[in-house]
Parts: sequence; structure tokens; C-alpha cells
Amino acid sequence: MTDYSNYTNKEMQAVTIAKQIKNGQVVIVGTGLPLIGASVAKRVFAPQCNIIVESGLMDCSPIEVPHSVGDCRFMAHCGVQWPNIRFVGFETNEWLHNTDRLIAFIGGAQIDAYGNVNSTSIGDYNHPKTRFTGSGGANGIATYSNTVIMMQHEKRRFMEKIDYVTSAGWMDGPGGRERAGLPGNRGPLMVVTDRGTMKFDEKTKRMYLAGYYPSSSPEDVIENTGFDIDVSKAVLLEAPDPQVIRMIREEIDPGQVFIKVPVGEKK
Amino acid sequence: MSKVCTLSEAVSKYVKNGDHIVIGGFTTNRKPYAAVYEILRQGLTDFVGEGGPAGGDWDLLIGEHRVKAYNNCYTANSGVTNVSRRFRDFFEKGILNMEDYSQDAIMLMLHAASLGLPFLPVKLMLGTDLTAKWGISKEVRKTIDKIPNDKFIYMDNPFKPGDKVVALPVPEIDVALIHVQKASPDGTCSIEGDEFHDVDIAIASKRCIVTCEELVSNEEIRKDPSKNSIFCACVDAVVHTPYGAHPSQCYNYYDYDNDFLKVYDVASKTQEDFEAFCKEWIYDVKDQYAYLDKLGASRLIKLKVVPGLGYAVDMTKEAK
Repeated sequence: MTDYSNYTNKEMQAVTIAKQIKNGQVVIVGTGLPLIGASVAKRVFAPQCNIIVESGLMDCSPIEVPHSVGDCRFMAHCGVQWPNIRFVGFETNEWLHNTDRLIAFIGGAQIDAYGNVNSTSIGDYNHPKTRFTGSGGANGIATYSNTVIMMQHEKRRFMEKIDYVTSAGWMDGPGGRERAGLPGNRGPLMVVTDRGTMKFDEKTKRMYLAGYYPSSSPEDVIENTGFDIDVSKAVLLEAPDPQVIRMIREEIDPGQVFIKVPVGEKK
Repeated sequence: MSKVCTLSEAVSKYVKNGDHIVIGGFTTNRKPYAAVYEILRQGLTDFVGEGGPAGGDWDLLIGEHRVKAYNNCYTANSGVTNVSRRFRDFFEKGILNMEDYSQDAIMLMLHAASLGLPFLPVKLMLGTDLTAKWGISKEVRKTIDKIPNDKFIYMDNPFKPGDKVVALPVPEIDVALIHVQKASPDGTCSIEGDEFHDVDIAIASKRCIVTCEELVSNEEIRKDPSKNSIFCACVDAVVHTPYGAHPSQCYNYYDYDNDFLKVYDVASKTQEDFEAFCKEWIYDVKDQYAYLDKLGASRLIKLKVVPGLGYAVDMTKEAK
């Protein structure tokens, strides 16, 4: 019998993502972990959710894991093939109509205590040490949708001041989004990393540790966070169900495109 | 009137040095690579470009020093190369004039161009460094034709005083390059799968070159107009170019050539290897047919998508 109890932190992260998604929600994903998480949600926790991607492909249920949001693997298995501008229009109207259905997953290289995210460059913007792709759809998503931010939890990524703000979080705290002209009733809900889940304090809008994994601890999170983080409200999160791990390895990402199976378990 | 010609004729007639160019497709899907290769072969240069969701198409033009200014929102062969490597290297070295926008902003700017709007107000990019920082300064902007003097301008929504918006310039496009599944000699195009921004740029550009997998008669393409999305009058040249999007995907026809994208990923790590790649696959290759011969028939056939799945897969290796 294959052992599915030996989950990795990435698999824990994917399952944690999946548990954030509720029936009836419209879920914006990219590729990578969020897609794996959303695929788990669609099969286990929230079969009535709709997955959409920023290229404009709506209600996606890919068979093989796509490499890009414009991939034919999304395109051949979706409800509607819209161009990107209709996606933007839909997302904006969800805000204008004050619905509460959208939940979006974005990633980044750096994040600050208020959930502002950098996916543009490291160092001085005009003379960067490292240049990344740029915004892609992330800026628009962070403008109009509630977001869950996916990060690798390292001190050099969780910073007091990030090098470039690509996607707005809670800006500089309460009222920050409104002052910038952004929708104030939208913003980051949570950060999911390989060490735990962070939420944002309702009053201060600062990040705090909400949950940690059996493989991590509040001390571990403090040590790997580059700003002061409150861990007093943190709870230990449950290990994932081995059946869900089996599903990820055997059905959702059997090619191990985004999640590697631990050494010794490879087929 | 037939607009059918060779790719060489289309590019020499409709693309000029210094043009403002927009390329259709999405990162690794329906990118008109054959047209980009021909532009490189003909030595055309000094382009101002709208990246949109770009990949190897713009990375090739940047790496071959053909780009005077580039509006970026995302440049990567997703899934193979996380950040296009010549794009990254040139910007890090300070030899690429580049401006960053949100992807949604660029796509709306292209749509605004197709609608003929004078400028575009959005709430995107507010509160971020996409507005706080400029990639191309006002001073440099004044020295480059075909890019506006301002990246954007803040304004108040005239109908809702106090509501801050970002006014974006609408690009004036010289040339659009588009790859489609079917086109007819008069320029009517049928795009299968997502149209992306291709219809917008066909309308908004002064000159539009279409490469197509299949050239069908003007009568045949009109049998089901519900499948057609580009009006013939928007198109200047129609070039029959099988596998014209290789190594990217073409919906209902073929998948991306991951092995080829991986070779490019490795080659583009250094300028020297990148140039050797361009010599081997572009400059030493006469045209698209020589390129296809070089790739080989079995390789191309293996890229064909499995109907129903929408991607290429060796069905003998699928679970029984």
C-alpha cells in the first residue's frame, strides 16, 4: 500500500488553499499551487465553485495541469472563452454590484506586514538586482478582489518595506486603500505559506499568525518573518487527510508539474 | 481581391523600421512566431512595442536589439521559463527602455484603441508603484517617437468629484501580427478558442498581417459567419503559414513544443548562446518551410492535439 500520510509542506499548503474556497464562490487562480488547491476544492470541499483565469477562460476544469493561464489545457475544458477584457469587466462589476463571491489567489516575491505584494523586481526598480515578469493580472485582481496570497515563508521575503508594490494590500493600514482611490471593501484576506496561515487584524490591518502546520511552530514563523508578527492567536492546523493527498498525487498532478512527491515515494 | 502573399512579401511591404508593433496571442498560445522570425531575418528594427501577455516573441526581438521601447506587463514562457531571459538581462543591464503596466491596463488600452477612444480612465494601478514609479522618464519619452510624454495622468472622475482615476494613453498602432486557424484570401479570419486581444489589434492597427494554419476560399469561410471574428477590411496580408505559431500552441491544431521551449530556455541564458540559437533556427533557415523541415515531420505530428482533450498526449502511455 502506498503511504499518503507523509504529506509535504507544499501539499499542506495546497490543501490549506482548498479549504478557503466555499461553494458558490468564483475563484480566480493562476497556475501552480493555487490551481492544485482549487482543483482539490472543486473535488472535495466546494464542488459548486467556479474557477476562472485572468486570460478570460471562465469556469475551468482542466484535465491535465496547464502551464499558463492561456493554455489550451484550460481552454478546451471551460464554460466560456472570453478575452481578458471581459474578465476585467466581470471582476470590476462584481465590485460595483457589491457581491461577495470573488476570491482570488495571487503570489509574489516579497510581502509586507499589510499584505502589499511585489512581483516586479528586487532592488532599485530602474536598476534592479533581479527583474521578474511584472504584474500580469495580479494588480487588477488585488484592486477589485479579496485575495489569498501565496508565499514562500522566508525572512528575505517577509519585509518591513518591500522593494516595489505591484499589487496593493491594505496599503499603510486602516483607510489606506480609500486614500489611494482603491476599493476599501476589498483587500487581502489571508497569506498561505509553507509554514502557516496569516490573517490581517481588523483594526490595524497588520498581519498576524492565524495557524501553523504540524511541521512548523509559532517560533519558526517569528524566526522567518522580517517584521514583528503577533502569534498569540495562532492555532495548530490539522494535518491533511491522506485521501486528499492521494488525490493530489494520483489524479490532479500525477506528472508532478507543481508538487513533487517526497523522495522514496516516486513512482 | 486576394491579399495572399508570402511571409517575406508581407513583412517587407507592411513592416517598417520604427513601427509601433503589437503581437497577438498569449504567452505560449497562438503567438505568430513565423512572422517574428521573418521580421528578424529582414533586419527590421527600432520598434515600439506593446507586450501584452508576452513570451518568447518579444524576448527574441529584445535579445536581437530590435526594440526601442517596450510596454511590459508580463514576459515569460510560462511553465518553462519563469521570466524571459533576454528581457530580464537587458533590463537589468539598463539597455532596454521599458515601462510597466498592469496586464489589464494594457489589454484595456488595446481595446480602447479598437474602439477609437481618445484616452482610457481606469482605477487599476492606483496606490502601487505602477503609478509611483516610471520605467521611462519624461525626458527620455520626449526623445522617442510614438510613445506619449506621460505614462499616465491622474484625474478626478468628472462625474464623481473626488473619485480618483488613472487616465491612460491609447496606443496608436502601426502593425499587428496575428496567427489564426483559418483565413480566406480577402482577409476574413476565423479564430478558434480564445481570441485574446487579437481582434482588438486587427481593428486598431494601420496595417495587419495575418498568418494562418489553413487558407480557405472566400465562399467556404462565409458558410458559418458565426465562427468569424476579423472583418476582411481590417487585414492587409494573408499568409498561409502552417505551424506558424510553433513553438507555441494553436487551439484545435497543436500543442506547445515543450522540448523546443526548453532548448530556448537554456540557450537564452547567455547572449552568446542566444545568438547561436537565432542563427541556427532563424537566420540560417530560409523560410517557414525550411524551418518545418528542420523540425521534422514526426516531431510536428506528435504535437497535434487529441480532439476532446485539447492537448497533445501519447495515448499509449495513458492509464487504461
